[in-house]
Amino acid sequence: MQQNHTQLADDSYFAAVTNAIRTETTKLLSEGTVAAVIGYQAGTRAGTVIPTIITDAAKAGDLVFSPGCVNNLALYLTKAKKEVRPAGKVAIIAKGCDMRALAGLLGESQLKREELHIIGVACVGVKGAGAGSGEALTTGTIARKCRECTVRAPEGADVVVGAVPPLPEFSPVEAEELARLEAMTPAERWAFWKGHFSRCIRCMACRQVCPFCYCEQCLCDRNRPQALETTPRPAGNMAWHIVRAMHLAGRCAGCTECERACPMDIPLNLLNRKMARELKTLYDFEAGLVPVEKGPLTEYREEDDQSFIK
Amino acid sequence: MCDHTKNIYKPQLATIEAMIDETPDVRTLRLVFQDEAVRESFSFRAGQFAEYSAFGAGESTFCIASSPTRKGYIECCFRATGRVTEALRRLEVGETIGVRGPYGNSFPIESFFGKNLVFVAGGIALPPLRTVIWNCLDWRDKFGDITIVYGARTEADLVYKHELKEWQERGDVRLVKTVDPGGNSPGWDGKVGFVPTILEEAAPAAENTIGLVCGPPIMIKFTLPVLEKLGFKDDSIYTTLENRMKCGLGKCGRCNVGNVYVCKDGPVFTAAQVKGMPQEF
Amino acid sequence: MTKTITEQKLRSLMDLLLKEGRRVVAPRQAGSIVLYEPIDSGEQLVLGIMPRRSAKETFFPLCETILTYGKDGNGVMVSDVDAGAFPETILVGAPPCDAAAPAVLDAVFSWDYNDEFFLERRKKTIIIGLACTAADDACFCTAVGLSPRDDKGSDLFLTPVAGGGYLCDAVTKKGKVFLDTYASFLAGGEAKPLPSAEPAATPLDLAGIKDWLESNFESPLWQEFADRCAGCGACAFLCPVCHCFDIVDEGTETKGARRKSWDACGFGKFTNHASGHNPRDIQNKRYRNRIMHKFKYYQDKFGQTLCTGCGRCVRSCPVGIDIRAVLEEIQAKP
Repeated sequence: MQQNHTQLADDSYFAAVTNAIRTETTKLLSEGTVAAVIGYQAGTRAGTVIPTIITDAAKAGDLVFSPGCVNNLALYLTKAKKEVRPAGKVAIIAKGCDMRALAGLLGESQLKREELHIIGVACVGVKGAGAGSGEALTTGTIARKCRECTVRAPEGADVVVGAVPPLPEFSPVEAEELARLEAMTPAERWAFWKGHFSRCIRCMACRQVCPFCYCEQCLCDRNRPQALETTPRPAGNMAWHIVRAMHLAGRCAGCTECERACPMDIPLNLLNRKMARELKTLYDFEAGLVPVEKGPLTEYREEDDQSFIK
Repeated sequence: MCDHTKNIYKPQLATIEAMIDETPDVRTLRLVFQDEAVRESFSFRAGQFAEYSAFGAGESTFCIASSPTRKGYIECCFRATGRVTEALRRLEVGETIGVRGPYGNSFPIESFFGKNLVFVAGGIALPPLRTVIWNCLDWRDKFGDITIVYGARTEADLVYKHELKEWQERGDVRLVKTVDPGGNSPGWDGKVGFVPTILEEAAPAAENTIGLVCGPPIMIKFTLPVLEKLGFKDDSIYTTLENRMKCGLGKCGRCNVGNVYVCKDGPVFTAAQVKGMPQEF
Repeated sequence: MTKTITEQKLRSLMDLLLKEGRRVVAPRQAGSIVLYEPIDSGEQLVLGIMPRRSAKETFFPLCETILTYGKDGNGVMVSDVDAGAFPETILVGAPPCDAAAPAVLDAVFSWDYNDEFFLERRKKTIIIGLACTAADDACFCTAVGLSPRDDKGSDLFLTPVAGGGYLCDAVTKKGKVFLDTYASFLAGGEAKPLPSAEPAATPLDLAGIKDWLESNFESPLWQEFADRCAGCGACAFLCPVCHCFDIVDEGTETKGARRKSWDACGFGKFTNHASGHNPRDIQNKRYRNRIMHKFKYYQDKFGQTLCTGCGRCVRSCPVGIDIRAVLEEIQAKP
């Protein structure tokens, strides 16, 4: 199988990004520009990484960038992680997709731009589900979202590290998946999601890794009155995922963390992408391009489409 | 007939025989088991707790607040603060609730025979001591002096007001009641001041005396040093811990303080035991 | 004498068991993943792949009704669940890390109070374990005292042999009776077992780790380990021995069910009091509880380690926390 796949960037690309991140981190921390740098450090298994918060310039050498850098680190800037977010100005390593989450959080007044130093990574892509921890980044192991990436060169960062080498054309797996979903009849779609959500075990990984799930009181933890059943049974599962999709519509910037984190392989981002498509069609709105104060679902305009009111 | 053991999660049904609003949001329910055999056989020790259910809302954990010496019924006392307690509060006299228990350890009352007792309680934490107080009053001749120091934020927040009066009028109990500064209304016949201060003022003798303390964490924190100053040893001071519980049976994994399961190893602990625990309550 | 069984005979045996009315739970393809699920035919049995979730749900389901209630003018009626009606079950194809787990959980589910839901299923289940011939870089059974050919917890144990098929050993009396009953599916003779897959893990000093935990409830290391923890329940839910649960009523005030469902000590609301006070108010305290429970508290209470080294927590952690690294760092401390 593997012989048909070509490696996407040689080690020198990742080494260059890693070095640039380390240099920038050393500079920022030693000059006192920022209190901390949120980045990736090598994990225990070959090719894996773990998120890390570095406050000491001497530790800059721990930071890495590799095809395993899948996490959206914006999570660590949200209210949900307020206990670990260092006070003061913070630098963060952000791929283009992660930057869209930052833009969203800025728009929702969860972050202040002047308290952020964004180290953008010109990104080749990261590895997807099913890729072994030791495998290289190839046309076969690249994450599906990266095949259709439009933000390889991040805009709006304080500094951009790395240079994306020429990449082959990718067939759009996600777009095809969305097209298949849209081609279904409502009954088929219902059955499709019912099947997937029946596997949900309510581990809440989707919520916990989502940069936009920062509510201090999540609807699904409320019990006075109880909005939805908490046990992993079909009705509650369906309700939970619908509520989440609605709550993220116009906000989700498509980082795919929910889908990646789901231990039951539920295609959660497909639902988010479908919602994004709807918002694009109805309101010509795309989340996370630039910080906006109000998304389409929190704002009323005369010309808004009202055809859904029947 | 199946040979398996019984369902440990299944509650007994009990009828609400009476209710008393202790404060605007604290209510006492007097419960009588519907099954006659259970009514006869149900026994517990002072300090034990139970899981009370409002069907449709779930279960909540409170101590059994009545005395084991009073047969035929049990009482619980709770503040409506959550889904279950609010549902319990909506129930009327004559309606049914579920009761599982009794669970946990208890106060070793027999080991207190021949000793003086000092009860120190704050606010809604009187119920776990009230069961002991009545148990001891019903066995009055087994004990020496009995002192009760009880306080709440305001007069309105004092629970068991009718019983406080009864204790006050008995000749064989010394009741020192207090409210926090500013919590008294004209005509208040008790003290004004925080429980630890009033306890220090009341200065019960520590010799041959057992201290029993229940209250909010902050009260306990300031009361223990006072007892120590008065000469109480950590192993003659008893308190109860409260942590969130679901099963009450040592299985669901919620209520542990370090390796101590409050539901099985507690809820009654000596101050010496509590001091040896990690800060996780 | 050693018995062997061919793969085809094993599948036929499952077919027969199903025909006899037994529930057969086995690794089975469920969408893109493999899960332990009841199978309808021996063909569905997936051998040699570690299912995404552990086998604990055979005994301790994600969610189960523990009673139903109904309320009318005459009062409340509570109906019991008849645990006696749980089906006779064969759990087949469980790797040693999954097969060993239920016996570890017996202790907590029978501690003074017998949880009939768990114990009744245990009583009625035969576990057919399967030696591992493949391990990945998350496996660490050998670090916590098991091995890829450990038959602990199994009633019958299968070891893959060269050229296909399995050695079939009875481990318990229950397994022996089973083997005798279905002897016609077995053959005698010699077979060479395939080498088992040794995880690249060195044994942990569990006693030393426990000693460190004993005196380091407060340690800056907890922050270091767990600041990144996202607070989901993936590790706990996939773990073969994590057993925290919730009890909730679902339904209305007049009709509904009380259910027991998986919960996780990593969830922020797990220990939250009604007053709003939370003894484990931040994530690293919750992570500390997870490690303490597995490597100290369960030892203190029941003399066992609450970990079988399956590696699911390592594979599933969305932020890459590796429990082995945590334990190794603890082990390296004086």
